[in-house]
Amino acid sequence: MCLAIPGLVCEIISEKRVMVDITGVRREADTSLLEEPLDVGDYVLVHTGFIIQKLDPEQAKEDLKLWDEILSS
Amino acid sequence: MSEPTQKYRDKEMVDAIIRKIKQLTEQIGEKVRIMHVCGTHEHDLAKAGLRSLLPKEIELIAGPGCPVCVSSAQDVDEVLWIADNHNVTITTFGDMMRVPGSKESLYQAQGRGVDVQVIYGISDAIKLAEENPEKEFLFFSVGFETTSCVTAAEVIRTKLPNFSIYASHKLIPPAMELLMQRDDLEFQGFLAPGHVSTIIGAKPYDFIPEKYNFPVAVAGFEPVDILLGIYALLKQFNENTSRVDNMYKRYVRHEGNVAALKTLEEAYVVADARWRGLGVWPNTGHEIADKYSHIDAKKKYEIPELETTDLHSGCICDEILVGKSKPHQCKLFNKACRPDHPIGACMVSHEGTCNVAATYEEIIWED
Repeated sequence: MCLAIPGLVCEIISEKRVMVDITGVRREADTSLLEEPLDVGDYVLVHTGFIIQKLDPEQAKEDLKLWDEILSS
Repeated sequence: MSEPTQKYRDKEMVDAIIRKIKQLTEQIGEKVRIMHVCGTHEHDLAKAGLRSLLPKEIELIAGPGCPVCVSSAQDVDEVLWIADNHNVTITTFGDMMRVPGSKESLYQAQGRGVDVQVIYGISDAIKLAEENPEKEFLFFSVGFETTSCVTAAEVIRTKLPNFSIYASHKLIPPAMELLMQRDDLEFQGFLAPGHVSTIIGAKPYDFIPEKYNFPVAVAGFEPVDILLGIYALLKQFNENTSRVDNMYKRYVRHEGNVAALKTLEEAYVVADARWRGLGVWPNTGHEIADKYSHIDAKKKYEIPELETTDLHSGCICDEILVGKSKPHQCKLFNKACRPDHPIGACMVSHEGTCNVAATYEEIIWED
């Protein structure tokens, strides 16, 4: 039940609401649980209508480096 | 378009990690039992068939990570008592509908006329209450930190006279500690739940290696994510060390989601919690803080003491929930108790250990 779905912020509706594209389905989501502001193009995790975290793109790139290490070792 | 998850399902990467896992397993030279405490992990790893790719020395055990499965019959009974005695409409997640109470589930109660509405999230319940001011609504809120912080946001800001929340919220880190303290369970490391960790961070697990010398790896949910978590744990075993490896850093910060944590702290107090078949576990739950008692169904209604039964005859959900027994060892499994006719709570949710075992014919441990 702690299922959270990754989505892409595609529209800022108001201070506490954004539109998220989840595999082609657009759905409004509440941003009250997030301190940092969101921009169009951010990847986020959506859980029961609330955004619970924003993807850290720098970290995602770091992850790929770790993969390269595993693949090449 | 959504997050490019495809790369986290990459076959070449999966094969590479499996090769690494096999090398490490040979170096370790003994059986390793890893417990996860997340229903989504159980579901996703079974769906991807990951157990079948792992060397037989590595056992992945499902712990009490499905919030629907661990909710006690008393919670269902009390919610139904409120509905029956105060003419209240119950709103809850679809997964909760068939969770057995002592006498009946919400689904069965619906059949005799109790108004039960399935909703996607708490906001839908609030909308119903706003649109129907003449009726009384209750949101039956079940979940770990991931879900309970969403409820917490509404506890703080919602002021509707005809709306209350019945909280059945549980906490993962103190439950992990109680599992380690049990001498009837044998496992050597924890795969920590990714989405709970997006909220609480990796930090609350620090006591596990520090106090118990127990390895932890926080993992996400795609096949590569889960395998990287297992790989990180095996590296710790092989190096004979223990620490918290965060393998889901793209979403899990060490400190967690600070705003969500503040919301949890504002809305709730830590309390004892009832886990199905396992009794009351001290300090493993969240109750609504006194400050917000106007929205707390347990305060709004004077619920009498009810006689409750968590386990129906033959059900071993209590043993399944802590990974002590496997679904196939239950004499009801896939016979009297099936996904289309669940008797035990672990067969209800699609993330329940028995439901997953039945759906994906998952063999959790070899005999």
